[in-house]
Amino acid sequence: MATPPQRVTYDGTIERVDEIAPQTRSFVLRLPPAPRFAFRPGQFISCLLPVGGDTIIRPYSIASDPEDPSRLEICLNLVPNGLGSQYLFTLRVGAVVRFTGPWGTFVLDEPPHAECVFIADGAGIVPIRPMLRRALAHATQAVRLHYAAAAAAHLLYAAEFEAAARTHALFSFAPVLHGSLAEEIERQYVSADDERSRHFYICGVGEIVPRLRDLLRRAGYERRAVQYEKW
Amino acid sequence: MARLRVLFENGAPERVIDFDPQKAPFQHDGRPGSILDVLLAHGVPLEHACGGNCACTTCHVIVKGGLDKLSEAEETELDLLDKAPGLTPTSRLGCQAVIEGDVEITVVIPRFTINAA
Repeated sequence: MATPPQRVTYDGTIERVDEIAPQTRSFVLRLPPAPRFAFRPGQFISCLLPVGGDTIIRPYSIASDPEDPSRLEICLNLVPNGLGSQYLFTLRVGAVVRFTGPWGTFVLDEPPHAECVFIADGAGIVPIRPMLRRALAHATQAVRLHYAAAAAAHLLYAAEFEAAARTHALFSFAPVLHGSLAEEIERQYVSADDERSRHFYICGVGEIVPRLRDLLRRAGYERRAVQYEKW
Repeated sequence: MARLRVLFENGAPERVIDFDPQKAPFQHDGRPGSILDVLLAHGVPLEHACGGNCACTTCHVIVKGGLDKLSEAEETELDLLDKAPGLTPTSRLGCQAVIEGDVEITVVIPRFTINAA
């Protein structure tokens, strides 16, 4: 009988835990040198968490850049009744998190040869952070970030995005704290002009993601120019 | 009762699962009554790295019989399938394809998923 391919697991040791927003923690995992964990900006890991005598699978997007193979950052909200986040929030420096990966096809290896628009809702900013950094490192055209959160305190990595907007002439950062993210996107990228060569990368939780996808595709943007990940 | 016949591209022995679709969900990952739900509840470890949330392609299966007896694929699933290795005209994501009613479905579990080591 043929043998199925072995699933490779990695053990990351928690090196640092930071409460970066209310009920939101960043975990930096130190990785062993072998097997080397290589990933692409936008991908996620699938954590194998021992909860209630069982092993539960929980996906968490990678917040850090792939250029450092020795460390990996994930960032998550404490979800009410969420078994995975509640378990991870009990962990301290030195604890080990087992995971598989990298997974996911929502990736950006290099920026498109077009205006590049990132749209994040809430925790959807996590995979977009390394995608944005990769885009900025090679950008030749405008790169924009629209990032919606419930309040300013819930904007993750905001200081970093503000600093990038000050230093990078092609980059603009637009936090969305009041009003509708969908309305802003429609106003700026559908109603304002007939330009339809832009590329979009959308990530968030729930129905806002397909809503934005449908809005842009129906407005005439190419299907493959509207990439998204819905959690 | 419904029947799910499972063939494995890697040569593992065929499995035949009889189940009552009215009793879904059978476990906690994937849509209730989906191919993933039924397989996991019956000890067939179909990969589902995103937790069965329609955010990856690791639960890709190829439907060999009963395709029209499954719930219709939505756009998110179709966009993901576009990126699945070994895509066929009858490919589905196991976490999204719900077995509707007392029907017989046959699926093949491909040898590789996109990130298999």
